[in-house]
Amino acid sequence: MAQLAAAGRPTWLARVRQRTLRHAPSDDAPVVLRHSRIYLLPTRRGWAVIATLLIMLLGSLNYALALGVGVTFLLAGLVAAAQLHTFRNLAGIEITPLSAGETFAGGSIPFALALHAGSAARTDIRVRGGNAEAGGDIAAGQALTVTLDVDAPTRGRIALGRVTLSSAFPFGLWRGWAYVHFPLVGIVFPAAEIGAPPLPRGFGGADPLAQGTSDDSDLAGLREFQRGDPPQRVAWKAVARGAGWFSKEFDGAGGGGPLALMWDALPQTLPVEARLSRLTAWVLAAERSARAFSLTLPRTHLATRQGRDHRREALTALADFPAEAPT
Amino acid sequence: MIFRKPAREAPALSPLKVKWLGALLLAAQIPQAPHLPIWVAVAGLMLVGVRFLLLRGNPRRPDAPPARIPSWALALFAVATALTLRQSYGYIAGRDPSVAFLYILVAIKFLETRTDRDGVLLVCLACFLTMTPFFYSQSLFAALAAVPAVVLVGATLDVLSAKDDSKRVVAPCVAIRRSAVMILQGLPIAILLFVLFPRLAQPLWGLPSDHSARTGLSDSMSPGDITELTVSDAVAFRVEFEGPVPPNRDRYWRGPVFSRFDGTKWTASAIGMTNSVAPATGRSIGYTVTIEPNNRHWLFALDLPSSLPKPADNVQESSGYTARITRDQQILISKPVSETMQYVQRSVVRSSYASTSQIDGPANLELGRGNERTIAFARELREANPDPRAFIAAILTKFHDEEYVYTLATPFYASNPVDGFMFDGRRGFCEHFASAFVVLLRAGGIPARIVTGYQGGTINPRGNYMIVRQSDAHAWTEALIDGQWQRFDPTAAVSPSRIEIGLGGALPASDIPFLARLDGSWLSNVRLAWDAFNYDWRRNVVGFNRDRQRSLFRDWRVDEMAPWKGVFLVALVIFAWGALVVVWLMWKRRHQERALVLWDDLNRRLASAGLPRHPYEGPLDFAKRAAARWPQFAIAFSAIGESFAELRYGAVDVTREREALVATLQRAIEVLPAPARLRSTSA
Repeated sequence: MAQLAAAGRPTWLARVRQRTLRHAPSDDAPVVLRHSRIYLLPTRRGWAVIATLLIMLLGSLNYALALGVGVTFLLAGLVAAAQLHTFRNLAGIEITPLSAGETFAGGSIPFALALHAGSAARTDIRVRGGNAEAGGDIAAGQALTVTLDVDAPTRGRIALGRVTLSSAFPFGLWRGWAYVHFPLVGIVFPAAEIGAPPLPRGFGGADPLAQGTSDDSDLAGLREFQRGDPPQRVAWKAVARGAGWFSKEFDGAGGGGPLALMWDALPQTLPVEARLSRLTAWVLAAERSARAFSLTLPRTHLATRQGRDHRREALTALADFPAEAPT
Repeated sequence: MIFRKPAREAPALSPLKVKWLGALLLAAQIPQAPHLPIWVAVAGLMLVGVRFLLLRGNPRRPDAPPARIPSWALALFAVATALTLRQSYGYIAGRDPSVAFLYILVAIKFLETRTDRDGVLLVCLACFLTMTPFFYSQSLFAALAAVPAVVLVGATLDVLSAKDDSKRVVAPCVAIRRSAVMILQGLPIAILLFVLFPRLAQPLWGLPSDHSARTGLSDSMSPGDITELTVSDAVAFRVEFEGPVPPNRDRYWRGPVFSRFDGTKWTASAIGMTNSVAPATGRSIGYTVTIEPNNRHWLFALDLPSSLPKPADNVQESSGYTARITRDQQILISKPVSETMQYVQRSVVRSSYASTSQIDGPANLELGRGNERTIAFARELREANPDPRAFIAAILTKFHDEEYVYTLATPFYASNPVDGFMFDGRRGFCEHFASAFVVLLRAGGIPARIVTGYQGGTINPRGNYMIVRQSDAHAWTEALIDGQWQRFDPTAAVSPSRIEIGLGGALPASDIPFLARLDGSWLSNVRLAWDAFNYDWRRNVVGFNRDRQRSLFRDWRVDEMAPWKGVFLVALVIFAWGALVVVWLMWKRRHQERALVLWDDLNRRLASAGLPRHPYEGPLDFAKRAAARWPQFAIAFSAIGESFAELRYGAVDVTREREALVATLQRAIEVLPAPARLRSTSA
């Protein structure tokens, strides 16, 4: 066994732990809940009723009340049937991981899962992951998409972690639950600095859209829309009027050309997180004003580009920046 | 995480949930109410009613929150109730006042029920209340009366667990049906537990300190008293014989003797003590009696005692009981039997003894009020039979030859009970026969009296001792003839098997041949069936106790089985039950979504015919593609596609319309040939 463990196979104990508690994200989508995953224990209410039945049983036995024993066991049968119904309510649900969302630090990440009811209707299914909870009823043959909004206080990657599906239907006497653990990871970008300094100056003239020389970008006029013009520059009002497609031309932008956002250009005195926040703010500002930019971090370099994907890549690079600044 | 953390502020119950709780309480209270003093019964029901009234709110201010009764007022009321109960019963720790207090307390709790947790507590209390009526009656009727409460326990739990007053709550029949179905599903487990769960040999607590008159013979006898006792399978006493056990017909366990009669009720005469047993010759039988507490002053001995009881060897003398014997040969002790007692007793089995007192004769001729017809009949009969023995034989012959029925299901004879029994009802249990017999004898001038006690008893083959139960309670008579008190048992004239075999042999229809002479009308057949059913009920359900369980285990050879085998077998049965119910549930749900099943089936068939449905393809598109492939079934395919699309994605809420669509879908699918033929058609 030790040799096996050394060879990279988990020990017997670890496998049992994984099977029972699902600590590692080992579930391949989709997961169908079967008896091996479903746990059942009485709820507080269930314990209260069971204790009541025990006292009733003791009393009936003591006073030799056959019918008292009968009623007690009739109710015990009801409790036992409730357990099966709770099991049935969970068994056969198919869970598919849909997506992990993105957010900025301080927000919440939406993780989406789809629950397929299968051939039976499901009632009051609760889904909990991280610190978020969602759920509801699912009609037979239908699917329910649940979104778990997990709090993301710090930048980096946040795994959804183990998800608990539970239900106390029908009587609230039993709580059935099952663990599923998908490798769903969401990205938390650094929070943008509030009141960040203006964008650094770009390389003048390199921007094919830049016409003037002033620092501020003032609207200079409209020209015919050309394929490839960024949507931020489309004169949507004109489009809406039906006047045709035009792009806005801006005056100035002496620094309106491509930007070079560089880690090393920031003051060395700023802490790591503050620098990341500022860069994030600049990436957002650059994207808002539809300017191409490059991003240079100690170990990463993103070439000058523009667009949603570029922005996302840049933000991801910032999110993944190691916590300790490399020396 | 097993428990969810309780919310700091428990959620308040909606009015609808409160109404459900109220309904549950009423269902639990009503079967108990007849067994309580009238003021307790009414007060409990009224308190529940008050809550319903409060829920309705103020009609002038409909927006105001429902009025509340402050908790301190309710607490005060509870204390006042407890004190009143103490006053009314004379004690509070016993069973009856406790039941009455629980009955009121549940209603008070209901008045101040606000949160979810209160609701659950109330459901638990209602469960208790469902059980308490069985202290007083375990008849079939009592069992049926408990059913609504049991069903409502499940339904109320269902309603309580709904998050809001959604559709789960709105339809009462849904919750009730769900609960009823689940009770039926749990029934196999209930029966299994009922049969297999071990019963107690000895009560664990409480019985001695109970002041209440427990089931057992009392110091008076009215018609119906002993019938009532046969319901109880409680043990009266156990006996270990030193020698051979006398036959059943000789086992008359003598108890209270009644001489006074007011026309309905028999009571004891003024007690005359002799402190000496009636002189007897013959073989005396020694035995040890272990009597269960009955809170009475009397002990039981085989007819007739030939000694005073002595404490058994293993019992300390210090218990302070002194035993005496009355002139009627009844054994009394100085303190009521409030705990299990053991005494050694000797008796000589015989059916007569010499009267020692001059007043025995005159004291046993009282006739009480009423019952004129019986008295007139007796006087006539006596004139025809001047010899006392011939007179008695004539009475017994009348009982035997005419249509008298020995039965548990006796009518209630309101006034002149002896007349009612003798000439109208003619159906009675031992006390009716004994009572009528004594009245007839007295009217005919022969002093006679009632003796109550037990008759029979069953040998427990395991412990080799005899168990005498309350259900063995019996009443017989003694008549003073020629200075001898002579035992007569009129029951034996009607139902000899009662005396020869015991109650069990006496009541099934096959053992009561004279009933067959009731001209076989359907009514008598129904009565016979009812009687047999009642007897089965008492014997097999109410009377299913430790001994019955043991003998059942012996019949099944359970006691020869290794314990692990037994446990394994029970586990297997429970597992099989669980699997069956789950499979059934799955199947049932599947059945409900018939359209889906049909559609899946069709998809499989078409796939095997060479036309699998694309995952992105909707029913209409798929049907169109199939129709293009098999144009001869185009109409069927379009019907399939449209009806299924309508069922799945349309807004068809009316059940009837849904059913019609499902029928259309099914018919259209049935039009299609088998996949193999379909495949060849397309080729």
